[in-house]
Amino acid sequence: MALNPDQIDAAFHGELRRHYSEEEIVELGAFIGFNIGYHTFFGTLKFYPMFSPDGRLVSQEESARIYGGAPASLEKGKGKRGK
Amino acid sequence: MTFVKPLLPEEIRDPELQELIRRCEALGVPDALFPRVLARAPGHAKALLRALLHSHVEGAVDHRLKEIIRVRLARTAGDPYFAGLRSARARQAGLDESTIEAGAGSFENDPRFTTAEKWALRYAREMYLNPEKVDAAFYAEGKTHYSEAQIMELGAFIAFHYGMQAFARTLAPGPHNA
Repeated sequence: MALNPDQIDAAFHGELRRHYSEEEIVELGAFIGFNIGYHTFFGTLKFYPMFSPDGRLVSQEESARIYGGAPASLEKGKGKRGK
Repeated sequence: MTFVKPLLPEEIRDPELQELIRRCEALGVPDALFPRVLARAPGHAKALLRALLHSHVEGAVDHRLKEIIRVRLARTAGDPYFAGLRSARARQAGLDESTIEAGAGSFENDPRFTTAEKWALRYAREMYLNPEKVDAAFYAEGKTHYSEAQIMELGAFIAFHYGMQAFARTLAPGPHNA
């Protein structure tokens, strides 16, 4: 959905239905879409987890060093969207 | 035809979900199709439709500007469903198709848009195409035009609608996945 939405075609949905109910497919799709939208937005806001992986409360500067990285464009990766 | 069959109207019996779908149809964004697909997961449908409506219609940012941004995002997402919908409320408030086209296209030198509106349109354009440009300087410029509450409203609106458009694109066959 995020990188190669063209691949989510009738055959893909046919396979999905072998594993999940239609309710579950809608739930999964909406959840994924929600995350596609929000994670890039959050990335631009430059905030990071309050705790390190070992559970220490860390400053945002330290957390940026631990978890940091610029938000990536879907257009510039392998993904194909829009236009 | 959608890959996930929408429920028939008579199959949707939850009064709250029925009312949300009625509100969607009145606004025109979304029409009844997307809500009826979401209704396969009724708990999710109610939360998502409430958020779609609230983020688009409520708040301190002009609904007409949000409508232009929404169409622009749908085109970026490659989603013909949401790109083809129009808000009746925005139309009644004076938004015409020419202005939508201008906002979804090369708006930078278009006198129809204020400096603040151009910043908001850039926000929507860069968020998913060049997110590295949405940096501290970009937000600092935004704060000269909008309150922090308005910027959060805009950012959340952009993120949520783009996410639902990315999902909607995968629900129906089109030139991309026929």
